[in-house]
Amino acid sequence: MVKPVVRVDDLRLEFLGQTGAFEALKGISLEIGEGEIVGVVGESGSGKSVTAMNLLQLLPRTKINVPTGTISVLDHDVRAMNEKQLQHIRGGEVSMIFQEPMTALNPVLRVKDQIDDVILRHKDVTPQEAEEMSLKLLADTKITDPRRVYESFPHELSGGMRQRAMIAMAFSCSPKLIVADEPTTALDVTVQAQILSLLKERAQKTGTSVLLITHDLAVVAQICDRVYVMYKGEFVEEGTTKDVIGNPQHVYTRALLNSLPEGKQPKSRLATVAAAMLEGGADNVIDEPIEQVTRVARTGDTILQIQGAVVRYPKEYNLFGRPITFHTAVDNVTLEIEEGETLALVGESGCGKTSLANAVVGLNKLADGAILFRGKNVLDHDPETRREIQIVFQDPQSSLDPRWPVWKIMTEPLTVGQSPSKAELRVKAASLCEMVGLEPSQIDRLPHEFSGGQRQRIAVGRALSVRPKLLVLDEPTSALDVSVQAQILNLLLDLQDQYGLTYLFISHDVAVVRHIADKVAVMYQSKVVEAGESEQVLTAPNHDYTRTLMNAVPSLKRAFAA
Amino acid sequence: MSSTAETAPQENQPGGTLETLMGPMVPVMQQLTRLVVLLFMVTTLLFFMLRLAGDPALVLAGNDATPEQLEAIRAQYGLDKPLFIQYLNYMGNLLQGDFGKSLASGEPAMGKVLTMLPATLLIAGLAMAFSIIVAIPLGAWLGFKPERGDRRGVSGIIFVFQGVPGFVTALIFIQIFAVNLRWLPSLGMEWGTIMYWAITESLSIPIPVPSKTWVLPAASLAWFLLPSLTRVVAANTAEAMREDYIRTARAGGAPASTLLWRHALPNALLGAAALIGTQFAFLMGGAVITETIFAWPGIGWLLIESTQTLDFPVVQSLALCIATLVFTVNALTDLSFQFLDPRLRTKGN
Repeated sequence: MVKPVVRVDDLRLEFLGQTGAFEALKGISLEIGEGEIVGVVGESGSGKSVTAMNLLQLLPRTKINVPTGTISVLDHDVRAMNEKQLQHIRGGEVSMIFQEPMTALNPVLRVKDQIDDVILRHKDVTPQEAEEMSLKLLADTKITDPRRVYESFPHELSGGMRQRAMIAMAFSCSPKLIVADEPTTALDVTVQAQILSLLKERAQKTGTSVLLITHDLAVVAQICDRVYVMYKGEFVEEGTTKDVIGNPQHVYTRALLNSLPEGKQPKSRLATVAAAMLEGGADNVIDEPIEQVTRVARTGDTILQIQGAVVRYPKEYNLFGRPITFHTAVDNVTLEIEEGETLALVGESGCGKTSLANAVVGLNKLADGAILFRGKNVLDHDPETRREIQIVFQDPQSSLDPRWPVWKIMTEPLTVGQSPSKAELRVKAASLCEMVGLEPSQIDRLPHEFSGGQRQRIAVGRALSVRPKLLVLDEPTSALDVSVQAQILNLLLDLQDQYGLTYLFISHDVAVVRHIADKVAVMYQSKVVEAGESEQVLTAPNHDYTRTLMNAVPSLKRAFAA
Repeated sequence: MSSTAETAPQENQPGGTLETLMGPMVPVMQQLTRLVVLLFMVTTLLFFMLRLAGDPALVLAGNDATPEQLEAIRAQYGLDKPLFIQYLNYMGNLLQGDFGKSLASGEPAMGKVLTMLPATLLIAGLAMAFSIIVAIPLGAWLGFKPERGDRRGVSGIIFVFQGVPGFVTALIFIQIFAVNLRWLPSLGMEWGTIMYWAITESLSIPIPVPSKTWVLPAASLAWFLLPSLTRVVAANTAEAMREDYIRTARAGGAPASTLLWRHALPNALLGAAALIGTQFAFLMGGAVITETIFAWPGIGWLLIESTQTLDFPVVQSLALCIATLVFTVNALTDLSFQFLDPRLRTKGN
């Protein structure tokens, strides 16, 4: 057995709040060997980030209480160290990589300053030597023009470049351990794949141990040697990645794996964690496909026609405030959706899929082309047509008015051009709650009293209030945990089944799309590069970009095939 | 890293169209256009409002003038014509650079304003410099650990100071430093002197010596800006300290002083710079009060004086002058953002 780089024993940790202590870690034990890549996987609120932050004692010591436990990092008893001693270790022997490279790098300092600072702090070198080292580190992260990145401010770089700079910074003082907290969550899949293999390669080359914190089992499968599964402040399962994912022992691990759409029968109900934990066994969860009712509901009638749609945003303005240059977000897109089917629009951030979605509901004007709903132009703002098309946005945290009670949020579309009584609206809201799986008694609550998944149910309920025919779903599950995503996907499939809804489903997640969509359109750099039946597009893609996208998606299956 | 999505139909080619050549000048032209519109509106509004306030002929003729004398004066100054014609005449003169003559003294109105402007700029500049020099370190100290007891105490005091009206502060200053301690004069203005430091027989270096009379007016005026500026710097620093990049810097082993001065403060100052621009108008209002109390011969004092005597041309010239000043400071603040915030600096590429 190699000597452990990190050893955590029976660590308990409470956050001290005004209303009392909240126990975030309930006695966890963790070991990371030399050169090992260890994953900690869990959903939001499980305590995985707390675990990571606490290794370097980055949590404010006055706001936490640690009743028991020892943390030994490279033979240092970090809990006994003072701030000055810790500063010596941080960035030197142990470094961190964070999730969102846009906010994790200082916007007013050049990459140069941010990396050089760390080197100069820990190593006895001149600024010239530090510069040479930084450039070498950036080159090591496969940046083709290190000098440009080195001289840039963070906002001048793409997300992937920023995360490479972050990795260069983390490796700058040849650390023994790198703690990576969701290092690829904010990135596009193709970039994620590059960053993950880069991280693994650099770690292997330098013999650095890595603690990788993530919510994504497929990411773990791709690069981790061992994995700890975390649930509500405890490690419920640990073992080699192969064992844990291939042969999960704990109910929670099984439920988590079952809630992933990958490898499941398309349009089948997915298992959910809550159900599994309640019933005490992931084996009990329903896993039969819904009868193919939604397929039957495809009438073959065209409900929406997008004809050569072009959306442009002004980029620069002239003296009189008139735009002189434009950014074309949607470039000559033509698509058709039939009644009762689900068309998924797949693509990476910035490809124009949300611009197109907004145009469909009339929130964006078209510079050219037309969008017809049953032959009527959606931009004519005919109230009947507008009612028939509703939208659900990505982040239910920001798409619901925080000061409105649920009944008011859900029934707002009903008050357009009409004035039903409050009593009527409340009755309607209660029935909408039932429809989307919420307690009708909760209609007087405010959005913050609900979880992320429940909030997305509220948003779906609001869209359904006017009985639309077409629902535009703009990344409806991207802000949610996998097990919650499963719940929402189940709900959407049920609703489509019951009410014969047509979906325009926007997503960057190929596994989700494969699960829910009848047809797929792949968008790349403002254009639709490939469209067709989902089975065909996703298994035998024609376009290069689609193939790149498919290969980049982290997959449990592929990780084990390798 | 090529992106065809960036290609727009009317994309400018480097060195091509007129608009590309004009490129860097566009913001300046835009600001100038806005200034012209602003001055036009200020002048128009003020012209009609002042006519509502009183009859300039009465002011010119005095209380015991006969109706005939009034008529004569009206005819002489064109005041017998319809108001709109008067307005057109006035604007016509303005465009030719004629701002009218002071009704009280007969001097050119704008000339009168411009001779008094330096005194106001002096205390306004001192007040701003003092506020900035004090507010940045104080605000940074307060915002670094706002939950600490000592910071809370100081924050509370500043909060109270912010609520004290400027004229009260000025009077308290006079009571303490002029009346009780007799350190500083309570009114009047001197331009200071220049002393010569003789190094050799032939070479001496002039050293400007500020006058004691500057201290109390400048300090009172600083009171209009200092508390709010300190509070904004403190709030912005506290906010910046919660940002992700602070966590990154901590994880890289940065000590507390680096976190504050190198990482948090530059971000915090972006918001504070915007405040300085908007507060300058407020500072001009403060100058009116301060200059009146300290009998400081600046444009604030002149504004009160000329309004009381209904000296319309002077009031008009003052308004134009102050509007231009406020506008210029705001435009300079906008410009300074480009230096402070790299995200605005490199918009073009």
